[in-house]
Amino acid sequence: MLDIVLQPIQASSRTRSVFKAMLTRKGKYGLKALNHLASLEPGELAFVGEIASSNNISKKFLDAILGELRNAGFVQSRKGKDGGYRLARPADEIKVGHVIRILDGPLAPIPCASRTRYQPCDDCDEATCKVRHLMLEVRQAIADVLDNRTLADVRDILEVAPSDDRMAGAL
Amino acid sequence: MNGRLQRSVVVVGGGATGVILAANLARFSDNVRVAVVEKSGEFGRGLAYSTRLADHRLNVRADMMGAFSQDTRGFWSWIKAEKLVTHDYAHSFLPRDLYGRYLSALFDDIRALPGGQVRGIADECIDINTTSSGVEVLLASGVSLPAHAAILAVGHDPNPAPEQAFGQRLSGRKADIDPNGRIVILGSGLSMIDAWLSLEHQGHRGQVIVISRRGLLPQAHVALRNPLHLDSADVPLGTELSYFVRWFGELVEETKRAGGDWRDVIDGLRPFNQRIWREWPLSARRRFLEHTKAWWDIHRHRLAPDVRARAEEAIAEGRLKLVAAKVLEASHNEAGQTTLTVRPRNRTETDTIVADHVIDCTGVAKDITRSSLPLLQKLFAKGLIRPDPLRLGIDVTANCAAVDRTGAASTKLFAIGPVTRGAFFEIDAIPEIREQCAALASQLSGEISISRSA
Repeated sequence: MLDIVLQPIQASSRTRSVFKAMLTRKGKYGLKALNHLASLEPGELAFVGEIASSNNISKKFLDAILGELRNAGFVQSRKGKDGGYRLARPADEIKVGHVIRILDGPLAPIPCASRTRYQPCDDCDEATCKVRHLMLEVRQAIADVLDNRTLADVRDILEVAPSDDRMAGAL
Repeated sequence: MNGRLQRSVVVVGGGATGVILAANLARFSDNVRVAVVEKSGEFGRGLAYSTRLADHRLNVRADMMGAFSQDTRGFWSWIKAEKLVTHDYAHSFLPRDLYGRYLSALFDDIRALPGGQVRGIADECIDINTTSSGVEVLLASGVSLPAHAAILAVGHDPNPAPEQAFGQRLSGRKADIDPNGRIVILGSGLSMIDAWLSLEHQGHRGQVIVISRRGLLPQAHVALRNPLHLDSADVPLGTELSYFVRWFGELVEETKRAGGDWRDVIDGLRPFNQRIWREWPLSARRRFLEHTKAWWDIHRHRLAPDVRARAEEAIAEGRLKLVAAKVLEASHNEAGQTTLTVRPRNRTETDTIVADHVIDCTGVAKDITRSSLPLLQKLFAKGLIRPDPLRLGIDVTANCAAVDRTGAASTKLFAIGPVTRGAFFEIDAIPEIREQCAALASQLSGEISISRSA
């Protein structure tokens, strides 16, 4: 049991040493899958195949992504005929920023602006690089947005916007 | 009063937290009247700083202990101005008595402010009622203080948990203990070290046996402090505990490979500890308390290096003995001794340890609903406050507002300091307490400008 749980994390720690763009495909698909799960009725589970096909993701890739999210405690899975995935906690308790840190590593707009997965640029000096200082500020702004949006907020983005417009029109 | 809109608050508890809150209120507002109620009549001392023993030391460096976030060196500046130390080493771990004196002096200063903005009342708060305009704070003497808000700064419980009533707490005073007796200390954290140092100081010659679940001694500080520079964007938040622990372990390994020390990681994480705790699911918080806290505590709450060296020496000489075991039962014999039945860690059979005296140092994480403070019992019973889900402390919002039985956040009743550890977790040390006090002080004084404009 322990081996199965540990394996995907080890895989992710290998890939984390290579810097990836802010929101990789993996991060994007992970969010789509979680959004799918956030739209389920309470107690309902979704099959990987069903999530994959309705969001245009390869099932194999999605399996790996959901495995990592399960290890981090964001989703739960059940095996068997009635099996599938569901959120481990209510959608309004899971922050988008939390999920992206798991799938894509530290939030960072460019490699030299990460503290734990820092990679120096070979063409500039980090102490005096003004671009890097600017990007550290950008990074904080990214965290401020993503850490204040929950999966429930994301799920309701399209639903809320038009009704707000109608409200504005009525007033 | 002078045409100024006045707001009044009562701070219940005049230990370190209560005095730091009062000082922040006095320093950053002139429109809040503050009454601090302290049973002992000794302001700024509380449980931690009432000791007079020079061996009882701070475990934060002197230049980081100021009462105000804006002036973290304040304590050290005071020490220098008062010429209380001869050395010039701001990174030293000074006696806690000096810190108690600093807070007492600070309280005397704010009490002397013109207009009597701050008052100290030597009395015990026995009850609080909410009224339409605020609160009514009842004191043991029969006096009732009306105010707009009350803030519970009651600190740590001075008594052991009821199930460990066979152990006694040691106060700073000389304990009535046979110098040749065999002493058992329950718990192996910083309070155990305090108790052991007290025994050493009064010339104890008998063996001291320390029993804790894991038998771990707190680690030592090192001379050089070099905290890892982290941003919140680096720290995994909201995960299950196992994921976080794995991340933490990898970061420690990386830091060591880069020539650093595990302390750099612990110290670098400290600004985020409250947030890490708050954003964990309840299941992760519960698991942390069960499996990880003991290990975390000995790394996070460290000893001055020379104190740790003394403890190691005493262990090597057999005067101090660490036992990893769980206490199953305690009974008293006719000689007045206590017989403890213990199960050593990772074993199924039990052992017996006979002690002339048992001292409780099991620390602060106990069930708040079983608090020995009658005031808290009363407020729980009335439903004005409720315990947090893990019963570590009083349930409060991120703004320190007490949450009542129905889940509603109060606008009149607040809690601050160690008693909010269920919500804040990292809230035992002055650096975090002064931040929390500054935020609540600005909130309490800021509400006035809102009501003024209304």
